[in-house]
Amino acid sequence: MQKRSFIYQLLIVSVLLACFSNRAAAEASDKLWPVVKEAFFAKRTIADADFMKITGPRRAESGAQVPVTLTIDKSQTDADAIKNVYVIVDANPIPLAATYHLHEALGKLQLSTRIRLETDSFIHVVGETADGKLYVASTTIRASGGCGGAVDGDDTAIRAAAGKIKLQVESPVKFGDITPATFIIKHPMFTGLQRDLVSQGFKPAFYINKVNFTYNQQPLMDVDFGVGTSEDPYLRFDFIPAKPGLLEAKAEDNEGGKFSHELNIKN
Amino acid sequence: MTLIIRFITLLLLSTSALADSFSVNEIASGVYVHQGVHEDLSEGYHGDISNIGFIVGKKGVAVIDTGGSLQTGKQLRAAIKNITPLPILYVINTHIHPDHILGNEAFVDDHPAFVGHTKLANAMELRKDAYLRLNKEWLGADFAASEQNNQVVKPTQTVEKTLKLDLGGRPLILTAYVTAHTNTDITVLDSKTATLWTGDLLFIERTPSVDGDIKGWLSVIDQLKSVDAKQVVPGHGTPTKDVKAALDKEQQYLNILLNDIRASIKKGEMMEKTMDTAATSEKSKWVLFDIVNRRNVNMLYPALEWE
Repeated sequence: MQKRSFIYQLLIVSVLLACFSNRAAAEASDKLWPVVKEAFFAKRTIADADFMKITGPRRAESGAQVPVTLTIDKSQTDADAIKNVYVIVDANPIPLAATYHLHEALGKLQLSTRIRLETDSFIHVVGETADGKLYVASTTIRASGGCGGAVDGDDTAIRAAAGKIKLQVESPVKFGDITPATFIIKHPMFTGLQRDLVSQGFKPAFYINKVNFTYNQQPLMDVDFGVGTSEDPYLRFDFIPAKPGLLEAKAEDNEGGKFSHELNIKN
Repeated sequence: MTLIIRFITLLLLSTSALADSFSVNEIASGVYVHQGVHEDLSEGYHGDISNIGFIVGKKGVAVIDTGGSLQTGKQLRAAIKNITPLPILYVINTHIHPDHILGNEAFVDDHPAFVGHTKLANAMELRKDAYLRLNKEWLGADFAASEQNNQVVKPTQTVEKTLKLDLGGRPLILTAYVTAHTNTDITVLDSKTATLWTGDLLFIERTPSVDGDIKGWLSVIDQLKSVDAKQVVPGHGTPTKDVKAALDKEQQYLNILLNDIRASIKKGEMMEKTMDTAATSEKSKWVLFDIVNRRNVNMLYPALEWE
């Protein structure tokens, strides 16, 4: 009797397991990071950092536009400030979504952007100090289809519209204090993984690869974007304008297109 | 041991009962609808969430949408064969979404004309990789048969503006629209019973999901209001004779969603916050609201930033 009920239970468990294993979708895998880490930072030590954080939705509503926010609780004027920030989506076909080079007038980094996720993934943020020390923070996000998704619409029109910039700051501006700026640039950010009906292959990658921000000619932040950054790249970041002046954004795409925009910040 | 056998028998019985549960309702003379269940397109999805069905004329049958998997398509085909020996002349897809087209394959051997919007074939080509991969992930073994072919069956006859099909004393009027719910929306009007199949241009109960152009969709709803229809079969939800009320309710949600997102952008509120707040006054009126509404904001906000 004892034995029979045991077999019976085992059977239930195995049937249940079979059902679930069939249905269960892949969760973000932590197996990729050791490999990705070596690819980008071969043989270097990376310490866990509690002063850096990346936040995003647990499950992304759209893999094409996943909102994430990076914060570093350490000022750019500190001796051990983080000067370069790498945003890496482990499971993306092209993992490096963007690299941010930070300058003093940013204060403490508070930056929101939108990235692409092809599938469930860990997102690692690696911070690098001026003397080459590395720190890491991470989160996991469930998502799908952000890199190979369909491109609807006519290529000529998409290319003609590319490069339009919107630049705003939250007003009223208090000089010497934290001021959030929002930057968006119209650009399809073709990943190279999207189907092309004309060639019956894939559309070649076409993306913004550089944006430099300055305030009164002083550098604020230099960004190297990859195709892991969403269509119409979006950035919202804090900076500290000491006095009235000119906020400038200069962008370039991988085909040599150059775009710029400036915003006069007055009293 | 008897217990084990009994258990297995029970398991088999319940599985076959599940397969037999596919039902179609004759909502007007010769108009049959199978109503899908309100599940999200995600884990736990079974490929049967949309309204699919068929219309029977004197000469033959027109299928309208085929469900989200080969299996659902086969169940629909079996239901047709139970009702009429007439040939299947047309398989119409109301738009590109996987829950409406991935059963097409079940009808290939009937050699019907596959009918859809002029943009449907291209949309299928662009999206097929993602749809087939996701369906495999969501449906697992249920999808295995279709995976072998790794194909989405494309239209052989297209609707640019309007198209009339004849089932034998039973004309169907197909109308194509500007980008609205998707860029491939068409409706089917059965003149004999004044039944309008809207595809996903109309959602009843289930929260409308935007994958095209919300402004286009709002204008298409006005267009649908002018159709002389006695009853309507929505893409999701229960068919109704109260056509105007259903269209009004959907238009209200889309209007509020659009206005709330625009207001957030104007105030400088971020997308993340807007996903929590936009159109929440409509929440109690719809099924799957939290999932679909947030997705709508995620899709619309980045586009509306450029207005």
